[in-house]
Amino acid sequence: MFFIYLKSWIIRIYMGAYSILKGFKVTFKNIFRKSVTLNYPIDKKPMSSRYRGMVDLEPPKCVICYQCIKICPTAALDMGHKVLEDNKTKNITKFVYNAELCCFCGLCEEICPTDAIYLNKMYEVSYFQHKDVINIDLMSKEKYKNVDGGAS
Amino acid sequence: MSTVLLKGLGCLGFIAFSAMFLIWLERKVSAKIQNRMGPMLTGFHGTLQPIADTIKLLLKEDIVPKGVDFLSWWLAPFFVTVPVVMAFLVIPFSSKWIALDLNVGVLYICSVTSICVLGIFMAGWGSNNKYSLLGGMRSAAQIISYEVPLLLSVLLVVMQSGTMSMQGIIHAQDHGWFILKPHLFLAFLIYSISATAECNRVPFDIPEAESELVAGYHTEYSGMKFAMFFVAEYTNMFIISAIATTLFFGGWHGPFLPGLVWFLLKSYGFIFFLMWMRWTLPRVRMDQMMSFAWKFLTPIALLNLLISGWFMVR
Amino acid sequence: MGELMTINMGPQHPSTHGVLYLELKVDGEIVVDCKPHLGYLHRGIEKIAENRTYTQFIPYTDRLDYLASMNNNLCYCMAVEKLLNIAVPDRAQYLRVIVAELNRVISHLVAIGTFAQDLGAYATPLFYAFRDREKIVELFDSICGNRLTYNYVRIGGVSADIPAGTEQYIKDFIAYERKQLIDYNELLTYNVIFLARSKKIGILSKEVALNYSITGPMLRASGVKWDVRKDEPYGVYNKFDFDIPVGLNGDSWDRFKVKLEEIEQSLRIVEQAIGSIPEGNPVSKVNRVFRGTGEAYVRTENPRGELGFYLVAEGGVNPYRCKIRSPSFSNLGVLPELIRGLNISDAVCVLGSLDIVMGEIDR
Repeated sequence: MFFIYLKSWIIRIYMGAYSILKGFKVTFKNIFRKSVTLNYPIDKKPMSSRYRGMVDLEPPKCVICYQCIKICPTAALDMGHKVLEDNKTKNITKFVYNAELCCFCGLCEEICPTDAIYLNKMYEVSYFQHKDVINIDLMSKEKYKNVDGGAS
Repeated sequence: MSTVLLKGLGCLGFIAFSAMFLIWLERKVSAKIQNRMGPMLTGFHGTLQPIADTIKLLLKEDIVPKGVDFLSWWLAPFFVTVPVVMAFLVIPFSSKWIALDLNVGVLYICSVTSICVLGIFMAGWGSNNKYSLLGGMRSAAQIISYEVPLLLSVLLVVMQSGTMSMQGIIHAQDHGWFILKPHLFLAFLIYSISATAECNRVPFDIPEAESELVAGYHTEYSGMKFAMFFVAEYTNMFIISAIATTLFFGGWHGPFLPGLVWFLLKSYGFIFFLMWMRWTLPRVRMDQMMSFAWKFLTPIALLNLLISGWFMVR
Repeated sequence: MGELMTINMGPQHPSTHGVLYLELKVDGEIVVDCKPHLGYLHRGIEKIAENRTYTQFIPYTDRLDYLASMNNNLCYCMAVEKLLNIAVPDRAQYLRVIVAELNRVISHLVAIGTFAQDLGAYATPLFYAFRDREKIVELFDSICGNRLTYNYVRIGGVSADIPAGTEQYIKDFIAYERKQLIDYNELLTYNVIFLARSKKIGILSKEVALNYSITGPMLRASGVKWDVRKDEPYGVYNKFDFDIPVGLNGDSWDRFKVKLEEIEQSLRIVEQAIGSIPEGNPVSKVNRVFRGTGEAYVRTENPRGELGFYLVAEGGVNPYRCKIRSPSFSNLGVLPELIRGLNISDAVCVLGSLDIVMGEIDR
């Protein structure tokens, strides 16, 4: 009876030690694998072609249909327009984007019939002052000057 | 007189340098095991990272929480660091480079490193924090329990070599390292498990269990005091691996290179094994750890002592 | 004996997953009572649903259980389709199944990694799990443009077709992941320390689980063979051949093991779906306006349990009421029962094995 107890005890010790050694083997194998991280900021990876970054606009393509304003779930976009004397051509007066309310869902990009509004590939977005991001004027070319990564 | 001063300063310099090197080594080893890169930007492959860490810790604000028991909270880092530095007195770096070759070297080291328990317990009690108290009490129980198998395995080496002085044990390994003998191999396994518990490393790092009690007994320390706990832990790691090298791996013996190089290689090899163990194994629970020490390691160590003692006397 | 000490595992703690506040009363180290306080992440999503159109609400469903975003989108879109009787093309059904199952794989990888970290295997299994997760997350990035909140499934289809080369990428990933699963088993599952920490801890019996309306891997680990994909199939799940792993005892180790085996079954489903995907146009235009009346309840199998959406419509463009039945909320209810009498270390282990996400508990 005592020997059965002793034998099961020895088997338990052996299985325990064997399982720990197998764990060591797994981590040892991983020392020689290539690293999966990049040495940022020296190496940077480009984003995929469908990546959803910050909202951007090409004003000549816009047909002022207001669909993007209506579909934005968080009301981050706002637009105004005026009609010229010939009662046909319309011009955009303002197109304001609030990046703090935006949830980067991409619905405005999907619904635009002319691909005027789209999401660019900026992923380094940090700013020093609140006022740089809550009233971004999408018509100007310097919209992301004060948001880090936009200058490059 | 001046040689003693020189040796003391040499030891302190070595401690500072070794702690910095170990900080870098730990981060690089953990990064390699986890398929990432570790520090790369500070210096070539992050070699200046420990200096950056030291400067950061020196410049931090020293926060004293409200309601601490001032004397025990303030003295705790010293009680942890000073015994570890004292133990450097008898480490045999090479056949000529030893600060003082006491003829009770092993006994001296084991007794001096036991004072660290007081420091941890004082840190746990002095910070006015329930988490620190739990961590301090757990650590005191753990360290005291694991001293028994540690001493029993070291005793076997002393019996085999016939002397307690460090250089004497190394000379008894002139004809082969002690680890190659079967009863001493078992003693080595017991020693490495107990020494990991002495140093509060995974799988026995319950006192500083980061996912349960935010940081255990050193939660309330910041700045230089935290740096002292940190340095004390890494230096303690070096001491237990230096003892393992002396007792089991032949100390500074080796074919071509000078003795000092072999000693450092073997010690840092054992430290690499300790780090490898940290990043592989999960943590044991408190009561499982205590039952492991008392019901498993101590009987095996006693049995080992009994049987090999009988063979030696026969 | 003696007086009880109150420990706050407060809203900020390294091992409560998210902002969960647990008030523990301990006697020495044994937990005597536990009271969870919720609401630190409440954002009023159900109320917001009453002021958004059906399409506008899809980005909000991403953020409920942020680790299983595709499954949340899918359940909501299926509820709207049932309410308003909208048909879905076949290719879109297959694409939905593929992304939902891949999302299940990555959600279980996070659960495994964080459970191992709670037990003290400090960060190594977590990094391995995130390294595997990175491959799928990059795939989702190339399909829909985002890495966590996908906003991919639309009412009546999906938002875009998969780009070229996706099928080969998925096949390579399935072969790679099967090798990694062997590594997880060697590193964690049969490790003696892991077994000692998680076997017989937090045993949830069959009767208690059914009384507390537990669903998902927790229920299957307790021995009940219930999976919405097999018992009330939705979409095209009845065309695929897969098993339901069931545990024996209902302890934390069983919950871990069930999740590992579910990863393998999900890979089987994806393999079959990729092999037999039909041609067609899966895209659903986003400028359709939906109106209707009635009410509908749809439930799907999330990685954490059974997610249910109950929608009531009264003829406008917005729903009148949207009620979300979240799996983690019901699963959390059994926590005080499970940790009575355990140490604090075991309480952390049980909480990790419950696999909760605060985003869907607080909504």
